[in-house]
Amino acid sequence: MLQRQRARLAYYLVLPAMTLVVVLNLLPLLQGLVISMQSQNLIRPNPTGFVGFRHYVRALTQDVDFWSSAWHSVYFTACAVAGAYVLSLGLALLLNLDIKGRGLFRALFLIPWVVPDVVTALLWKWFYSDQWGFANFALVKLGLVGAAIPWLSDPKMAMPAVIIVQIWKLYPIMTVVLLAALQSVPKELIEAAKIDGAGPFQRFWYVTANFLRPTSMVIVLLACIWTFQSFDIIYLLTGGGPANATQTLPILVYVKAFWASQLGYASAIGVLILLILMVLGFLNLGLERALSRGRDAHV
Amino acid sequence: MSTISLTRRQGLALGAASLFALGSKGVNAQGQAELTFWSVRLNTPELQAALLPLLDQFMAENPGIKITNEPVSGEQVYPKFIAAVQGQQMPDIAEAYSYHPLQFAALDQMETMDDIIAEWEQEGRLADIVNEFAYRKFFWQDHYWGVPYNLDPRAIYYRKDLLEATGLTPPTNWDELQAAAIAMHDPANGVAGIGFPAGDFHITQHFYMGFMFQAGGSILNKDGQLVFGTEAKDANVQALTYLTDFATKLKVTPDGIAAWNTDDAHTAFVQGRLAMGMGTGRVVGQIMRENPDLFDKVGILETLQGPKAKLTAGFYNPMFIWKFSPNIDAAKTFVRWFVSPGRLAPIYAANPGQHWPIFKSEFDTEFNRSNPLLMEMLTKVIPYTTDFAYPGTGIPEMGVIDGEKMFAAPVNEVVVGAKTPEQAVVDAHKRMEEVFLGG
Repeated sequence: MLQRQRARLAYYLVLPAMTLVVVLNLLPLLQGLVISMQSQNLIRPNPTGFVGFRHYVRALTQDVDFWSSAWHSVYFTACAVAGAYVLSLGLALLLNLDIKGRGLFRALFLIPWVVPDVVTALLWKWFYSDQWGFANFALVKLGLVGAAIPWLSDPKMAMPAVIIVQIWKLYPIMTVVLLAALQSVPKELIEAAKIDGAGPFQRFWYVTANFLRPTSMVIVLLACIWTFQSFDIIYLLTGGGPANATQTLPILVYVKAFWASQLGYASAIGVLILLILMVLGFLNLGLERALSRGRDAHV
Repeated sequence: MSTISLTRRQGLALGAASLFALGSKGVNAQGQAELTFWSVRLNTPELQAALLPLLDQFMAENPGIKITNEPVSGEQVYPKFIAAVQGQQMPDIAEAYSYHPLQFAALDQMETMDDIIAEWEQEGRLADIVNEFAYRKFFWQDHYWGVPYNLDPRAIYYRKDLLEATGLTPPTNWDELQAAAIAMHDPANGVAGIGFPAGDFHITQHFYMGFMFQAGGSILNKDGQLVFGTEAKDANVQALTYLTDFATKLKVTPDGIAAWNTDDAHTAFVQGRLAMGMGTGRVVGQIMRENPDLFDKVGILETLQGPKAKLTAGFYNPMFIWKFSPNIDAAKTFVRWFVSPGRLAPIYAANPGQHWPIFKSEFDTEFNRSNPLLMEMLTKVIPYTTDFAYPGTGIPEMGVIDGEKMFAAPVNEVVVGAKTPEQAVVDAHKRMEEVFLGG
């Protein structure tokens, strides 16, 4: 009886939060789903006309921009997250050492995280400029290249250039999270491994990495979600160009919704992005479970 | 002294009427008609500083109307307007980009402006407008959905000192422009022959459009049908080839123009890195502010005589009124007042060259006469400006074609070597066709 009352109280307590979740998350999501099945072409009559899965079929079978944008999104996300993870892991390991000025370094490494995306994009745009950018100025002065590199105007260079910016944006938060995980590794285990004759690499791989794995899975998943849906940095740096070389799915959604007035079609792409991210989330969850099972079996 | 006495019933009725009046949509407690005015083209600090006193002046002259201005960022135009349409919270009046009125008219959100155009015709003001396409582009389904209120021209600026050093005269046609760009190209001294925005941005298509018209091409024909990659294909390919040859064949542009937006081209010219630069009228004010020493060394080219025509792109920005505004009459009063002769002089002065009157009779001012670059713009460029709809009237689909940068893409694709001019035009045409087919 008491347990039932407690359960009821718990439901009452979570009710305000659930109401907020429904109003702020689920309702817009449902509206997005509804719009994705309506015409919502704002230069055509009857915008609320039901069109079923027509927009989805168009995206998946007719629109070449959808698949090229999807590929760009995957490429951008994979490279940026992988690059940021490697960089942040290295930095976290360094910052975990007992070095002088560690607090200052930690604060300095956080700077990119606190810079607004718009400012980030403009800073890097100037940095990359073929006319007055520091990147080219330094490379030419150091004699590393003969002429300025067209970072943002060459379709082959533009994507790596925006990936670098996204890595710059991502690595601080990943470093902080990984550093926190590193600090939770019991020192006794490291000592024990040392006594057993494990070298630095073995100590990292067999002890530290095991503790980092769950945190890494979470931060990588979050970074993938942030990066996959990233819009402003790419849009401000390249506008999706040159020759669509950096057009990702969020940019395609923006273009279709707000420049082409095709809200229905844009919503359908938005829903597809959501599905892709959900698949990514489930994969991550599955992988984590599989690794945990493997680890438990090993133990 | 007479007194007015009211019965209790009359008092109640008066009270109820007062409450109704106070609660009426669009009327404030002082009984003024309340108007919201969204400005897209007048949103920089200096333009706002010029605009707000004008609004105060309007309210002083029209005490029954209260107008509130809300500047809207260019990047936020579509999201903001579309959200406003969905929520039925449109402004009573707005000034924005060329095709907004037709797109919103297609959504049944626009009040017709036929009466104002008819008045202008009666008063002879329609004939005073620089170019008939300034207002014809707002004509769709037998109605005018917007009225032009200012002009935003595109021009080619050049360095007089560098040109004189080559012994050439200012170019007036395609061949001469090419020869001048080659002759003035001096990478050793950090000066490129010519520069223009070729990034995947809207400004890119504005310059292509000028060359397109000069070659006899267009996007639509006079009946509003899409001819970009059909009847007009040869001319459009010719214009695209000519423009992109500067970068791909002649190599007289900076390497990075495929990522350039408006400000990149402007800044490169103002910093002295270009012998010739394509830009908006804003360059004049930018030179005056940022590099005044350059002012006397700069000229504006006569609009080029292309293979078929002597035309350039200019954008006649519209004002329009929301169909469901509770104060349509007050809104029209404001539009009439705002576009009356000489009214916008403070705005033209706020950033010289950026905004221009649409009426020829407003050109001869001391402000223009005292500035050689403005005079050059006035005599060499503005009379030849024409807009998207040329050679026909407007259609809402053109807003999508412009919005999706469908004719910027060909320039960008050719400059980066992704496509040939012909392929780029054909592909762009296919994308434009999809707009007409629906989706």
